[in-house]
Amino acid sequence: MAFLIRRGSKKYPYITARVRAMKSKLLPREVYPKLMNMDIPEITRLIGESEYKQDVDELAQKYSGLDLLEHALNQNLARTYRKLLRVSQDEPNYLITEYLRHWDIWNIKTILRGKNYGAPAQEILDAVVAAGQLGYRELTSIANMESIDDIKTALGNTPYYAAIANYDGGELSAIENELDKIYYSRLLASIGKSKGEKLSLKYIKTEIDLKNIKTLFRTKKAGLVKDDIFELLIPGGMELKSGDLKRMSSLPWSDFLKGLEDYSYWSEISEVVSEDMTSLMDVEALLDKYAMGYASRISHYYPLSILPIYDYMLRKNNEINNIRTIVRGKKVKLPDEIIRKHLVM
Amino acid sequence: MAVQDIKPTRSELIELKRKIKLSESGHKILKMKRDGLILEFFEVLEKAKSVRAELDADFNVATEKINIARAVEGIVTVRSTAFSFKDAPQLKVESKNVMGVVVPKIESSSVRKALNERGYGIIGTSSRIDEAADAYEILVEKIILAAEIETTIKKLLDEIEKTKRRVNALEFKVIPELIEARNFIILRLDEMERENTFRLKRIKS
Repeated sequence: MAFLIRRGSKKYPYITARVRAMKSKLLPREVYPKLMNMDIPEITRLIGESEYKQDVDELAQKYSGLDLLEHALNQNLARTYRKLLRVSQDEPNYLITEYLRHWDIWNIKTILRGKNYGAPAQEILDAVVAAGQLGYRELTSIANMESIDDIKTALGNTPYYAAIANYDGGELSAIENELDKIYYSRLLASIGKSKGEKLSLKYIKTEIDLKNIKTLFRTKKAGLVKDDIFELLIPGGMELKSGDLKRMSSLPWSDFLKGLEDYSYWSEISEVVSEDMTSLMDVEALLDKYAMGYASRISHYYPLSILPIYDYMLRKNNEINNIRTIVRGKKVKLPDEIIRKHLVM
Repeated sequence: MAVQDIKPTRSELIELKRKIKLSESGHKILKMKRDGLILEFFEVLEKAKSVRAELDADFNVATEKINIARAVEGIVTVRSTAFSFKDAPQLKVESKNVMGVVVPKIESSSVRKALNERGYGIIGTSSRIDEAADAYEILVEKIILAAEIETTIKKLLDEIEKTKRRVNALEFKVIPELIEARNFIILRLDEMERENTFRLKRIKS
């Protein structure tokens, strides 16, 4: 109901101006090739003196080395996203909240996995990123709960309860998939009908398509049966409608690859796709690059809409992924070619 | 056995001859066992070499995959996903007999799992995690196989060493000493017989 009241309340000029300012602080794409030529101490020094300084200083007592860097990056991401929630109002705030539910879902999954595994609360909390609506304090209290029932009660008033209501311990894959589906259905439902929002909807639908293509690749490669595959696909995509998903999930591997040629995404991945491909990492990396480029392109069409904010959130997340990929990749001596392949610039 | 401790009697001589015969046949059998074990060892060694090479290659692949997952997805994602793997592989250890040597036979189950049985949701994860999990499943299977073969090799080597020691002890110590004792008794008995004959001749004359 609150969302209906908020809809139409256009408070975009302020938040988009803030986002523009925040965007200017992101590392420019030219920096990444330079980072590739630096040693780890040089990179960590650069990061420690940048936007991430406060996070590095705060976590320096708890972590060290690359773990410190990674946790600082994650904390900065959470801080940035929470700042967006803080400085936005009404419709933009609502849409940002819905978009960031992805992190709530991630954290709930981590806590449930940890509890199911029997991991200590601190170990579980080391793997959460409080970048969604559930803050670190709430997540800490949930992670410290002893039983699954207590966790379910704590999440009773959230949209995630529907997925975990029947969970009583044991395997989590079905619950996790359900949580992800809830996320996308809410995200689709959250977007209205104005021109800017229609484009946002197109972006979300494209994201769903890309997610479905990745799932199709993974499940087909693993030899899952068509019903199991179809269960894992998210309805509401842009090009891959329900009928397409049904058809694609029933096709054998070679026909599936041929079937992909009918969609616009094919041109992005055609170079790395072949019948005897052994790894899907290249396909996923190219689809991620496409999503990033697409968000960046459409963000300029309606400057006073959610689009530039989505674009910023994506870029910020991407910056963190890129820094981490370079530093961790260098630490474990991954070839530069592999690191470059996974960078989204 | 020192020569001075031997009683030069006929019964001792018979006993010694029996022991020599037994030792010689034991020596022959142990030699055959040693040769058989060595042949078996070389066969298993070839298998172990190829399994070890495969294990090294699988380890390198698994390390690369987990390193990519850690770098691209982050340690937080890898750690969280790792919580999903609750079931440890089941191992059944039996034993089999190779030329009298008891070696292990390890059977594993639930090491390799289908993508939708690993415990983590597919929609929210990526192929980097799948490939790292795949690579480690293959690696664990290979480790189990290598453990079986390498334990067999160690046990065969121990047995070969033990058999070699026994063969050498029989060949260079036990049998020569028995032969020396037998020769001594024969010599003493002949001597005693000659003394007897001489004594009888003296009484007669």
